[in-house]
Amino acid sequence: MKRGLSLQAALAAYRADSEPAPPPELIDPDALLTAYHPDYLRDGIATLAVGPNTDAHCPRELADLLQAEAYIDEVDLAGVEVTDTDVLVIGGGGAGCAAALAAAERGARVLLATKMRLGDSNTVMAEGGIQAAIEPDDSVQQHLQDTLRAGHHAGDPALVAALVGDGPEVIRWLIRQGMQFDQTASGDLHTRRAGGISAPRIVHCRDYTGLEMMRVLREAVTQHRGIEVWSQAPAVELLSNESGRKCVGAVLGSLDGQKLRIVRARSVILATGGIGRLHLHGFPTSNHLGATGDGLVLAYRMGAKLCDLDSFQYHPTGLVNPPYLSGKLVTEGVRAAGALLLNAEGRRFIDELQPRDVVSAAIIRECREGRGIHPETGGVGVWLDTARLERGQPGLIEQQFPKLLARSRIAGIDPRRDPVLVYPTLHYQNGGAVIDVDGATTVAGLYAAGEVAGGIHGHNRIMGNALLEIISFGRRAGFAAALAEHDRGPKKVTLEHVNQARRALTLAGLPLTRRAPQMLPAYTAPGKDIWKA
Amino acid sequence: MTENAGSDSFVDLLINGVKVRAESHMTIVEAAWAGGVPRVTGVGCLEGMCGSCRILLRRGSAVSVALACETFAEDGIEALFLPAPSAARHQYELTDFKDGWDIQARFQEIFPEAERCRHCHGCVQSCPKGIKVEEGVALAAAGRFREAGEAFIECVMCELCDNACPEQIAPAHVGLFSRRITAFFHLRPPNLIHRLEELRQEPFSATDEKESS
Repeated sequence: MKRGLSLQAALAAYRADSEPAPPPELIDPDALLTAYHPDYLRDGIATLAVGPNTDAHCPRELADLLQAEAYIDEVDLAGVEVTDTDVLVIGGGGAGCAAALAAAERGARVLLATKMRLGDSNTVMAEGGIQAAIEPDDSVQQHLQDTLRAGHHAGDPALVAALVGDGPEVIRWLIRQGMQFDQTASGDLHTRRAGGISAPRIVHCRDYTGLEMMRVLREAVTQHRGIEVWSQAPAVELLSNESGRKCVGAVLGSLDGQKLRIVRARSVILATGGIGRLHLHGFPTSNHLGATGDGLVLAYRMGAKLCDLDSFQYHPTGLVNPPYLSGKLVTEGVRAAGALLLNAEGRRFIDELQPRDVVSAAIIRECREGRGIHPETGGVGVWLDTARLERGQPGLIEQQFPKLLARSRIAGIDPRRDPVLVYPTLHYQNGGAVIDVDGATTVAGLYAAGEVAGGIHGHNRIMGNALLEIISFGRRAGFAAALAEHDRGPKKVTLEHVNQARRALTLAGLPLTRRAPQMLPAYTAPGKDIWKA
Repeated sequence: MTENAGSDSFVDLLINGVKVRAESHMTIVEAAWAGGVPRVTGVGCLEGMCGSCRILLRRGSAVSVALACETFAEDGIEALFLPAPSAARHQYELTDFKDGWDIQARFQEIFPEAERCRHCHGCVQSCPKGIKVEEGVALAAAGRFREAGEAFIECVMCELCDNACPEQIAPAHVGLFSRRITAFFHLRPPNLIHRLEELRQEPFSATDEKESS
């Protein structure tokens, strides 16, 4: 990487009243992606040697976990307390809550187990909004096309049709749960544009959309008489029937001890979110602390097919400093409202509302070619010109982006006065477990919803489709799981799939030393153990 | 940009009773990791949104509460991570509400304590988001749910105010109730309703993209 300007030099050269020329026309977006997008980095990519995706490529950090050994063996299950339920939901973010509520609506007994506190998730941090084609000049069909196109036509059209068709109904359902959205003077839902979409379609609640959604769903779940919640209860392993081919429950651990609990269920819904905390290719992440890919690991070990494991979203505008906020997001809504991206020379270099993967690749190009800005605290970035936005539309930031302001205040930054330094941050897992329109994975009895599931976003997700997906497919999985038929005959729960996975690892000559799911990132200082004093 | 970021000044503090040496630009969460403090499990989003990393903070003789991911390490302070809030005492389901005219009566049944605020400011002082909690509760008690809910727009449900309230009002839940009931009864957006009606008359079926574009 060529070195650009220091932060001080770039700030001194910055003028909020300059008039930057339009960015150069982007002639070949694919060439830009191939040259600069992290998905195309050859180093750090591994080939899977076992499991249903044998021979597929994925980042090494993920491959290590997918090809790891389980924590427990059948001997560990002797004498462990057993709980029975109809539907077990693993994960306490937006998808898990939507799934639990939908299953309970259908009369199922629901147990929701979450690794941390209910609501501790990426959902709570989502800022921009949720897509639903509700404006007169928009249509569900346009939403479908935008989603498939932005995903480079790698998404499954049947899943995308289900997603976009649910959009308006999802918003009504959220309002019925008590979620508020911003309105225009005439009472319409206010909509925003975003990168890669053809009409204003993002409905939102200031830049607190995820927070508003999550606190409402958490309250709805905890107040629901048919749902029991276990928090700080991470899933250690799934349970299978005697053939190892059907999911019949899970083994849950606890964060504050080593106690195990067995849950037997008619259906299990994985809603465990993504992988940001694996820091693929060394990137910072916008994600929640629990985003360690646990669901992918559990599903894969039981034989569920995964898809698009080589495709991840690096959100263009992650913060670079202060260090404690490194990788945390500035919402795309800020660019949608008109904020420009400028390099160290004060020039625009990309249409700011291109799809996220293209904008990220362009930022990485600027920084690699010596037009980046380097703070003393490390890292590199380009300007997100919030100061010019404020100058052009005074008061807009305070009105529409209070979260950005509140966070900046604590960090001692004023985005209304200075531009904000940004660099792409690992944000989203585009792929995941293969599902059908009911959220069913390729393993009987096992469903997946939300970021852990794949097939919808192709190779790039557009803003507002993640919040839509977690509700749309969370509810689809919840309904289907609740209606799944009872198994007749003996309810034997085993770890046969673990035995089979271990045999496969041994045959492939892979070591059995590493264990997964990871559950928490290893941030403690070297030599210190977070479990022991 | 933070002025102290990157400086090498070290501070000594106590976290959950463990002596920790941290860099001064670190948050309490980062300091806990750096110091190897065991069993810090109540950490979530790391950006002040999930409300999980609740701490009790002692500076000299002054004791306060805060979120650890937004509080910086200082020399001589002591931080204790608090357990997660216990289950809400107030029970209601929005679908139980049939009529918007009796919201206030129902509110008084569900949150009878809300009228008993003694203006001790405990909730206001404990709020890491600077919410005017007391005013919000008073608005809700007066039946002004839209305004009450607006006061709680930045609430992250850390429920530190619930812990602080001697009357057990549960202000965070009062705020959330106010927001939810406002959406449930009053949010009727014409553009959404119109599209839903169109889709009811003619359900969406995808056409092949190449034909239509």
